[in-house]
Amino acid sequence: MTATSAPARSRPGTRHPRPAAARLLRLELRHNAMLWMMPVAVALFWFTAGRKTLASPPLWNLRVAVMQPNAVLAFASPVAGAAAWMGSRESRRRTTDLVNITARPRPARLLTTWAATTCWALVAYLACVAVVYAVTAHQATWGGPLWWPAVVSAASLAALAALGFAAGTLVPSRFTPPLAAVAAFFALGLSTQLIKGSQSYWLISPVVAGPWDLGPNPEVGTFYAYLPDLPMAQVIFLAGLTAAVLGALALPTGSGLRSLRRSAAAVTTAGLLVAGTAVALAGTGRLDAHGMIAIPALHDAASDRPLRYTPVCGHTTIPVCLHPAYASYLPATEAALAPVLGQVVGLPGAPARISQAAATYQQGPGNSVGIGMAGSPIGGTHPVFHFLLPVQLAGPVLTTSEMASQLRSATGPGIVASVTGDGPGASQAQHAVTTALLMAAGVVPSHPAAPGAPTAGNNVPPPGPGAGGERYVAPPPGSPAYAAAQRFAALPAAARRAWLTQHLAALRAGRISLRQLP
Amino acid sequence: MNVEITGLTRRFGRATAVAGVDLRAGPGVFGLLGPNGAGKTSLLRMMATAIPPTSGRLRLLGRDPLSYGPRREIRRRLGYLPQNLGYYRGFTVEEFVEYFALLKEMPAGRIPLAVAAAVDRVGLGDRSAAKLRTLSGGMLRRVGIAQAIVNEPELLLLDEPTAGLDPEQRVAFRAMLRDLGQRATIVVSTHLVEDVGAACAEVALMDRGKIVFHGTPDDLTARGAGHGTGDAPLERGYSAVLAAARP
Repeated sequence: MTATSAPARSRPGTRHPRPAAARLLRLELRHNAMLWMMPVAVALFWFTAGRKTLASPPLWNLRVAVMQPNAVLAFASPVAGAAAWMGSRESRRRTTDLVNITARPRPARLLTTWAATTCWALVAYLACVAVVYAVTAHQATWGGPLWWPAVVSAASLAALAALGFAAGTLVPSRFTPPLAAVAAFFALGLSTQLIKGSQSYWLISPVVAGPWDLGPNPEVGTFYAYLPDLPMAQVIFLAGLTAAVLGALALPTGSGLRSLRRSAAAVTTAGLLVAGTAVALAGTGRLDAHGMIAIPALHDAASDRPLRYTPVCGHTTIPVCLHPAYASYLPATEAALAPVLGQVVGLPGAPARISQAAATYQQGPGNSVGIGMAGSPIGGTHPVFHFLLPVQLAGPVLTTSEMASQLRSATGPGIVASVTGDGPGASQAQHAVTTALLMAAGVVPSHPAAPGAPTAGNNVPPPGPGAGGERYVAPPPGSPAYAAAQRFAALPAAARRAWLTQHLAALRAGRISLRQLP
Repeated sequence: MNVEITGLTRRFGRATAVAGVDLRAGPGVFGLLGPNGAGKTSLLRMMATAIPPTSGRLRLLGRDPLSYGPRREIRRRLGYLPQNLGYYRGFTVEEFVEYFALLKEMPAGRIPLAVAAAVDRVGLGDRSAAKLRTLSGGMLRRVGIAQAIVNEPELLLLDEPTAGLDPEQRVAFRAMLRDLGQRATIVVSTHLVEDVGAACAEVALMDRGKIVFHGTPDDLTARGAGHGTGDAPLERGYSAVLAAARP
C-alpha cells in the first residue's frame, strides 16, 4: 500500500469509456451463472428438442410446433436455476451491506443481473433455434420460418429467469436454485394437464403450441395462413408476468425513493393485469376449421384466407398433385396409389387428377377433435379426386412405408368407389366390383368388425367420410358379393377393363346384378 | 462537520447495540475503539446507511441520510469496509473494484483510472488480474479497502481494516490513512489500539453501546498513567477507561 494518490502504473485511460450501465452489464455477463449453464441447456435442448424436431418431416409448421414446447422445457430448469443462483448471490456471498450502501438503486442493480442471465439464456436459445431453422430451411420444400413460436419460447425464458431470480432474491438459500429448477420444469409440465378442449385458460402455457388435443399439426400454416392468436396471447401473458415479477423486486422498503417504489407497484399491478387479460383471452380461444386456435379479440379475419400455392404434380397416368410443402411425399404417394390408379385409368368417370385437400377440424366433446375434409371428394367436369395424406391427420408420426400403406387402404377404395359409384345405397354388384378392383390392385379391403371389437383408442376419431375415403368395408368372406368379387378379380386385366368399359354406366346406375358379373 | 450524531440509538429486538451516542467528526482519522460487542459495528453500519437508527439524529456530510435523495448523495461520497468482507469469487481484483465504482455511480470516464489508482494504492497493482478466490485473507482485506476508496470518499468507514494484514502492510495502511485523512473523514473501528495510536488524531472508546471516552490518543494514554493493564501506554489507558466505565 502506498500513501501517494497518483496511479503507479499506466492504464489505458484513453480508452473510450462505455456508459456505466453497459459496463455493469458487461461485468455481470462475464460472471453470470447462466454462462456456465449454457452447455447444459444446449445439451438438454439437443437431446430433448433438437433431435426430435429435426427427425420430424421438414415442414416449417410441424417443426416449430415440435420445437416450441420441448425447447421451453429443455431450457426451463437451467434458466430458472441459474437465475435463482444469481438472485441469491448477494446474500450467499455476504455482500448485501456492501452493495446496499451504494448509490445505484437496488432495482437497477438487480435488473442488470437479471438482464445478464436472460441475455445468456437467449443467446443459447437463439443459437439452437438458428440451427433448427437453418436445417429446416435447407430441407423444406415450401414456406418460410414461423417466428411466433420462437418468440413465445424466448419470452418464456425471460419470464423463467425473472421467476427464478425473484425466488433467489426472496429466499436466498443454497437450496433455492435447485428447487427453482425442479419447480419450473414441473410447473410447465403439469400446466397442460388441466387443458380441456380448445377453450381452456391453460392454453396460455408456453408449452402449448396449438390445439393441445392435436399436438404438432403439419396442416397449420400450409393451406391457410398461420394464426398467431395463441402465441400473441402467450407473449402478452409472459411479458406481463415478467414485468410483474421484476416490478415486485423493487417493492421492498429500502429499494429506493418512494416514487420509485410507487412506480414499481404500478408496474407490478399492470403486469398482473396484462397477464390476467392474456389468460382470459386464451380462455376465449376456439379450434378453428383449419386446426388452429382462434382468439376472437386478437383474430385478424384476413388470416382466414386460403394461401395461394402451385401444387406439385407427378407424372402418373392420372396425375397426383400435392401441396408443395408435402412435395417430399409425392414419390411415396404416387407409388402407393399407382396400382389403384392403374385399375381405373381410362374408364368413364375416372378422375382426371388426384389432388391433396385441406383438412377441416371440429372440436368434439372433451379433448376429442373431428378431422375431415370439406366438400365432396370428387367433383368437376374433369373430375378431381380430393384426398388427405395420412400425415395431415393427428396421430403418431408415420414412416414413409406406413404412410403409403395407410394411403393405399384409405384413399384407394375412395378412388375406385368414385368410379364404380359405390357408397351408401349402392348395389351388391357395385360393392363386388369395387372390392374386386381393390383386390386386383393389391389393396386388402377390411371386413366388417365383430361386435364389440375395439375402435380407435386415442382422442382423435378415425378419419370421416371426407378424409379421402372412409375405411372401406368389403363384403364378408363367403357372401355372394365376396365370391363375385373374387371371380371378377381373377379375370385377366384386359377382360376386366373391357367389361367395365362396356357396363360401367349400367353398373353405376344400379342395373347390374351380382349374377351378371363375369 | 462530516459526521454529526446526536442521541443515536439502535436496538435489535430487546438488545440495545447503540445507546444514545453523541459524536462529531471532521476531516481526519477518527478511531473507534472498544471491546467485542461494544456497538462499534452497529454504529458504523448506521453511519454507512446500511441500517437506520432506532432513534436519534444522524447527519453525514451535512445531509440527512434518512431521506432518499440526500442518502443517495451521501452514498456517492462514502466508502465502507465491513468487518466481514463478502466478495464474488470469480471476479478479478480490478473487476471487483470497478463493480463498486459503477455501483457508486462514479462518472464512467473516470472509472478506469480510479480503479487502477485504488488497486495500486493497496499494493495489488501486480495482482489486478487475479481472481479473488486465489487471494490470501490479507490480500482480500486490501481489495476491500480498494473498493472503499475507489471513489475518493469524503467519508470513509473502516471496520477492522487491519485484520489479516501483516506488519509491513499495516504500516503502509496507516500511512495511507493519514494521507486520506487530510481531505476526508475516516472512521476506523478497531480493537487494535496500536492502529489508533499510529494513525488517529481523535479517538472514541465504546462500551456496551455508549461512548465512554472521547479525546486524543494522548488523552487516552494519560488516563492509563498509573492505572490499567497492558503492555503499551495506550493499552493501559484503554483498560483504565473501560474499568472506570464499568460498575
